[in-house]
Amino acid sequence: MKAHLLNPFLEAIHEVLSKEVQTKIERGELSLDTKSYTTEDITTLISMVGQVEGNVMFSLNMESAIKVVSRMLGEPLSEFNDLVQSGICELGNVIVGQASIRLARAGYETNISPPALILGEGAQLSTLDYPRLVVPLMTELGLITIHLALKERPGAYQPGAQIETPNIPQAN
Amino acid sequence: MDVKFLTPFVEAAKEVIQAEAKTTIQRGNLSLKRTAVTTEDISVIISLVGEVEGVVIFSLSIPTALKIVSRVIGQDFEEFDDLARSGIAELGNVITGRATMLLAKNGFNSDISPPTLIIGRDVKVSSVDFSRIVVPLIADIGEITVHLSLKERKTAGMQADFIPAQLDQVKLQQANALDK
Repeated sequence: MKAHLLNPFLEAIHEVLSKEVQTKIERGELSLDTKSYTTEDITTLISMVGQVEGNVMFSLNMESAIKVVSRMLGEPLSEFNDLVQSGICELGNVIVGQASIRLARAGYETNISPPALILGEGAQLSTLDYPRLVVPLMTELGLITIHLALKERPGAYQPGAQIETPNIPQAN
Repeated sequence: MDVKFLTPFVEAAKEVIQAEAKTTIQRGNLSLKRTAVTTEDISVIISLVGEVEGVVIFSLSIPTALKIVSRVIGQDFEEFDDLARSGIAELGNVITGRATMLLAKNGFNSDISPPTLIIGRDVKVSSVDFSRIVVPLIADIGEITVHLSLKERKTAGMQADFIPAQLDQVKLQQANALDK
């Protein structure tokens, strides 16, 4: 995965998390993984289709999830109920949606799928021939790990997309 | 979820599995669920994006997966290794791809995502606010369960042909006005 695909995600994550969850975020060291990984309590899976395609996974434990959604809603929640599930999915949706907008500005048109939620730790999750870029984010509410398994569709990048069309000189 | 999206998937699954795994398939009883899917040994998750959107999950046991992959590739598999994994994921990919072609014929264009594979029992997969149809497919090599959580995108009609059709209407009216 290339860096110019990573940056839109990092920007989106920072923007959304600092706005919605009001937390400081410290990014851990990035790593690239080609094998399957063992899931944590909660994984939100969102797919991206278009000039960049693949899957994005948000992984966190139950305690952090409850804290994150409590902050988002501004009311303290104590159990992992439907509201928390829906809130966590929505957070993933907003982040990937924002990243998709940023990718569009950089010349990649993409669409995102509705989120799927995977509950239960200890399963093996594999994106097969899409290597995962692992982004660990240390927040006040716990660790949130983001896995980006994305590929650029060959020939998709159009560097001209950002340049405005010059005005046509008008004949007097 | 809408039942009209069901038939393309059942047709595609039958077609692909019968051709690739050389076995006949019977469809079991359908059911509609609102709860999360509790996984079997192996689940292949593929998302649809477009005028139909949502998640398709293929769920099967390891012995069934090994039998299928053995038949598809034409060599015996003893364990669920990388090749078997990619074989099963590819099968899900081909079935979903074929189904989207059938959906497109019915006027619903969609794209599919690359597959994600979950290995591990009793994990819950939820499509949150989508209900799902459970389609059991029974063959001599075992059972494959297909979970379909799909819905029509609300703006689908708008983006597909609403605007061009209206423009045509305007042109038609203009042409009629000229004739008079």
